[in-house]
Amino acid sequence: MATQQDEGGVPFAVAHEQQLFRLLELPPDIVELIEAPSPPLLSLKSHAPSAAAATPDAKPAYAVLCTPTKSFQLRQVQTSNSLFVTQPTLDAHGNEIPVAAICAIALCTVTLELHPSTASAATLLREVLPVYDVVAGDVDATSNGKTKASIFHDIPVSDGECQARWNELMAFEVDGGSYQPSPNALSQVWRSINAASLAEAIKLSTQFMTADITRAATEEGHPPSLIEAVLAHLSMDDADSSGPWSCLDRAKTVAFTGRILLEAKRGPDFLIADFTDTWEDRLPEAWRKDAQLSAIEGVYEFPSDTTIRTKTKTATSTGDNVAASMKPSARKWHEKFGKTRKK
Amino acid sequence: MPSIPLHLPSPSTAPCSLENPLPHLFHTPSGLALLELQGTIHFPAPTSTSQLSTQVGKLVFPLYNPDINDPSDTKWMKRVYLYVGKGQRMTGECKKLGKPIGVMRKRKKLEIVEVVRYKIVFSARPEPISGVAELE
Repeated sequence: MATQQDEGGVPFAVAHEQQLFRLLELPPDIVELIEAPSPPLLSLKSHAPSAAAATPDAKPAYAVLCTPTKSFQLRQVQTSNSLFVTQPTLDAHGNEIPVAAICAIALCTVTLELHPSTASAATLLREVLPVYDVVAGDVDATSNGKTKASIFHDIPVSDGECQARWNELMAFEVDGGSYQPSPNALSQVWRSINAASLAEAIKLSTQFMTADITRAATEEGHPPSLIEAVLAHLSMDDADSSGPWSCLDRAKTVAFTGRILLEAKRGPDFLIADFTDTWEDRLPEAWRKDAQLSAIEGVYEFPSDTTIRTKTKTATSTGDNVAASMKPSARKWHEKFGKTRKK
Repeated sequence: MPSIPLHLPSPSTAPCSLENPLPHLFHTPSGLALLELQGTIHFPAPTSTSQLSTQVGKLVFPLYNPDINDPSDTKWMKRVYLYVGKGQRMTGECKKLGKPIGVMRKRKKLEIVEVVRYKIVFSARPEPISGVAELE
């Protein structure tokens, strides 16, 4: 009697020379990207163990898969089973007529799982970017000698997320280095922008040539790239920041000036009345009446009945500090204390 | 930190030209498929170097009959046999993967060569069978 194997069995062979494949479990978002008509560029970023591997702070080596806007951490999962990658082949064992067969060409004992990354680009950028401060008219900053591209390169998060957080920090490149401005530097840059708009009779609330404001504000010694970063940060969401035009968002700008003023304050805390007066003065004429505490809800606290200061530890406005609340933040606290002591 | 581009299966890549003897469900453009089994397969060292592979068994899909079954009928997936050597049989099934698997390879570049959605799984140990001589 003819049996099924004779008729329909598929010969299964194992190749003597095995190839090397890695199996990657794909979450639905990635499958969707891969199958899109014009799939975006994916990349693997790997983070080598830090040079100071002996220190307890050393970060372990890891790799992330980045889409343009998302990051997934790779996790290796061992299987005790044998998982073969097979391909069709022609089997001609003996001198018979070759038949279609299946050949195992690779044995995989490890599967890579992808998990949405918990790394916070904001935290990492804040850690690596030197602070750019302006003290008594002099720039106080130590160059890291690194371009934005090389900074992004070293952060295990997609370039899209890095760029978004970079914009929020108003980070900028100048003379081959990249920096994050201090609240004090931001406060001064904003004053220059506001002064430039007065001097040039440019309304910041309507479309203006970015270069006109930048040129005028640069005269006070600020790097043009920093002025542009601030203007881009304060622009309307739908504005195309790559074009020559800008138009500032009223609510954003009002909140920004208030927050920065508080954060940049040194010495004794502001009297509440002084604070709102100064805040009003920093705003374009038409927006003065917007300088209300309700515009900066959550960033201030009252140490006494008459004074106001920035919240001791603000839940930063960057939006992705869920991860920051995990382990690295414990370390960040030490750095923060260290920094305050140095000041 | 090196950032390596991960290339995706290119639609322009010539599909596998060999006949694929697996049920149609397992067909992928490259012909790559996944087969999982418990333990390892041992076979005698190849006797001649000209032989590139060793046949270790035969896969049988006893309920698969595309001529009769409706394509939407997936009952056949519940059973697959792998006859190994002369007296052993493994029973397994065909499974749709919870998450598709990208088969990744690094040659000149790092690429996902194929996205595979099904696998053949033999999770039970082989069982001895009699009357194999007859089947040979």
